[in-house]
Amino acid sequence: MESLAHILHLSPVTFWMIVKVLLVFGGPFTLAALLTWGERRGSAMIQDRIGPNRAALFGKWHLLGLTQIAADGIKAFLKEDLVPPHAVSSLFWLAPMFAFVPAVLGFAVIPFGQSFTLGGVQYHMSLLDPGNGMGMLYPLAIGAVAVYGVLTAAWSSNNKWSILGGMRVSAQMVSYELAMSLSVVAIFMRTGGYDPHQIIAAQAGLWNVVPQFIGFIVFTTCMFAETNRLPFDFAEGESEIVAGYFTEYGSMKFALMFLSEYVHMVTAAALIVTLYLGGWRLPFVADPGALLSVAAFLGKLLCVCWVFIWVRWTLPRFRYDQLMALGWKVMLPLALGNLLLHAWWMHRAVQG
Amino acid sequence: MAIVTKQVELSWLDRTYLWPILKGMVITFRHFLRQLFTPTSKRYTIQYPEAKKAMPEGYRGLHELKRFEDGSIKCVACFMCAEACPARCITIESEEFSDLNLTQGFEEKRPKVFKIDMLRCIYCGYCEEACPKDAIWLRTDYELSAYERLEMQYGKWDLMNTYAKKDGKPELTSDPSPAVPHKPVEL
Repeated sequence: MESLAHILHLSPVTFWMIVKVLLVFGGPFTLAALLTWGERRGSAMIQDRIGPNRAALFGKWHLLGLTQIAADGIKAFLKEDLVPPHAVSSLFWLAPMFAFVPAVLGFAVIPFGQSFTLGGVQYHMSLLDPGNGMGMLYPLAIGAVAVYGVLTAAWSSNNKWSILGGMRVSAQMVSYELAMSLSVVAIFMRTGGYDPHQIIAAQAGLWNVVPQFIGFIVFTTCMFAETNRLPFDFAEGESEIVAGYFTEYGSMKFALMFLSEYVHMVTAAALIVTLYLGGWRLPFVADPGALLSVAAFLGKLLCVCWVFIWVRWTLPRFRYDQLMALGWKVMLPLALGNLLLHAWWMHRAVQG
Repeated sequence: MAIVTKQVELSWLDRTYLWPILKGMVITFRHFLRQLFTPTSKRYTIQYPEAKKAMPEGYRGLHELKRFEDGSIKCVACFMCAEACPARCITIESEEFSDLNLTQGFEEKRPKVFKIDMLRCIYCGYCEEACPKDAIWLRTDYELSAYERLEMQYGKWDLMNTYAKKDGKPELTSDPSPAVPHKPVEL
């Protein structure tokens, strides 16, 4: 690493920072693009279809339909970039950014591998080093900002379907955020801190998914709601309100909206992996090392992403009142109960 | 009749939501695996331009004007198909002909022009039903397309040859017997 940094006239720490930035912003982006392929082919397999397999590189290599991603990208770029005359054009242009940036930002604190020491310097595999004071509060806060992208898009479109979708999803996100945060608080209590490195260190013997199973269920459900995935697909609701908040969007702006949904999914999966599935830890391996830990993290991430896709093609969409009932009457009490249970448990442990 | 609603009593396991969801996920995953490990040729989807579905015999596709074994047309230009056609896409002009072998010297009718406008045809099969001589069949070919509208006007020889290659018959370009007798046959 030092020699590489030397070639670029950078200190190793700066060089590693640049590498991390590229990884953390390029990684979810690439994964999201791959996930669109996974979603389309996976859903096809689930529904006994074949899925996109026609696009070919130079008319020859189909690569299992992976070339469809490139074809879609080219198509999105070449399409006419239309802003409808009744839309508020400035916000209309900004909305895809509002949707996209928070989705990527959430990834910044998540450690995607074990920290390693090289030449006496310790390098951490997360964009923000441990002890930054924000910890897991940061992705939760950023996740809350994500609703602005949807709402801005919906509002600026000046379209009834869009605003319906936007209003529904903002109500949904706000009500599910409570349960989500509460279920994470239980982890913070058990860990004694909210730094993701600490949380992963605390999962050394047993992953959080076992002692915090209720919290895991609540958090995963809320993540489905936060990422607007089916069965909580209220922003889009294509059978009810055309395409929801991006009804008026086309070409690359739509592609950005679409991609941000998948980046959001990757970030949500990373959160689930970090909080409940032991982060970069491998079972029965105490010290997996840098590369193996990254591979473990990626593997878990992809598995959780697949669950997101899998659930989407299994469940139908909730009705709006069912969604609210589930959020307030089931998820919130469950999260609170989980919190109380762990508080009681810890109290017992302290008393002996 | 009143609608009978069934009150299904859900067990506590079903009311957790989680268990039924898991059951559903097992079903979808079974489909996923089954489809994943099925070779492409055995899947339900027919990869169209490369593989084509064999149409059933009763399919109403492109028409064929049937011919006798010697190659003369079966159609007697009775205009029944043109009358039956709801889309009015069949145009027939008749002519007379006589031949010692085919008609024992008598004068018979046959179409001089038999034209079907494939752009107007709705493939209802009424012409096939109306035909007293079984001379027009709707068969299995369904890939009709052309770059120009005029190419979709199928004439008599087009219609007689539509399935010639498929059935291994020679392509016809003219009637085996002369048209219109120039002198009346003396008995």
